[in-house]
Amino acid sequence: MAYSDQVIDHYNNPRNVGTLDKASTEVGTGLVGAPECGDVMRLQIRVNPETQVIEEAKFKTFGCGSAIASSSLATEWIKGRTVDDALAIKNTDIVKELSLPPVKIHCSVLAEDAIRAAIGDWKKKNSVAETADAAAVAH
Amino acid sequence: MLKVLDTAVPIACWSCSIGHNDSTLFCPHCSKIQPPPGGDFFQVFGLKRGFQVNLAALEQEFHRLSRKVHPDRFARAGENERQWSLADTALLNDAYRTLKDPLYRTEYLLKLEGAEIGEEHSGKDRKDPSRVPDDLLEEVFDLNMQLEEMRMARKMGEEDSELQASLTAAKEKFDGLLEAVDHDLRAQWQVWDAGDSSARQAAQKTMVALLDRRRYLSNLVRDVTETLGA
Repeated sequence: MAYSDQVIDHYNNPRNVGTLDKASTEVGTGLVGAPECGDVMRLQIRVNPETQVIEEAKFKTFGCGSAIASSSLATEWIKGRTVDDALAIKNTDIVKELSLPPVKIHCSVLAEDAIRAAIGDWKKKNSVAETADAAAVAH
Repeated sequence: MLKVLDTAVPIACWSCSIGHNDSTLFCPHCSKIQPPPGGDFFQVFGLKRGFQVNLAALEQEFHRLSRKVHPDRFARAGENERQWSLADTALLNDAYRTLKDPLYRTEYLLKLEGAEIGEEHSGKDRKDPSRVPDDLLEEVFDLNMQLEEMRMARKMGEEDSELQASLTAAKEKFDGLLEAVDHDLRAQWQVWDAGDSSARQAAQKTMVALLDRRRYLSNLVRDVTETLGA
């Protein structure tokens, strides 16, 4: 299977790989996995408590090129957005941007789940009431 | 490679014209070789669909049929029969390879029964929490980090014996988990083979989840083994 140029670019030059301090109250951590292909993805955000803007985003993904590209792109997109704005990102946006084939759509789903899990973790730590929208997607 | 054709339709033998069930390699009436039959791999061996297979009997039947369809026996037959003997041999090999392996067989039968396996589910069921092995995630992530560390150390020409011991312990643990999954899978085989359609539905769902967990585990064991053995 051929990867799109966008996937290859993110795979070769992943943006924002790394770790944030899990214990910090400003940091939210999302750890998600895709049993379909055995991938595991960790996405972390550091949120400015005043503005609720995501100032830093880091990821570490063990998995296929599409999973790495999806999480790399996700960190790029959420940086600079407010928490609520970041929740608006849909996996279909990632599919479009990376031209993912149907069998790799779950990689984008994983990235969306990771964003939501990280934000959910941050909200829990900071006792922010979940908005109706976020509550609905968090199962 | 999946063949799911309607097998109830009788087909007339090309040679004797008597109708026969389209799942046999040879006409039951005139014994002439037939084109590759439709139907599933189980029918090739005259078996009912089931997860539990008598492997000794399967092997015997495979050898018996292989000899019968062997292209050498059709060297002087007509063009059609020669082609069919090649095609039937290929089908027989595929069917045997699939059915003799417990994992291939399980995945194959689940697909035949309409389940979506592996990357096919494409995250459709992501609201179904039973499908994501959450308890494993943290451990899997940490293990992957350790593996990466180990490879980096290797590259620098260093050996970290503590890391090595920790990875060896992890491998043993995941080997054990893998065995537990296989044990659970075999239990579900029995449930499905003996059960009615609702029991089968439940068993199928459980097996798909078990296979997901298994894939996770076996990838890990493979990576750890590779890294430790390097």
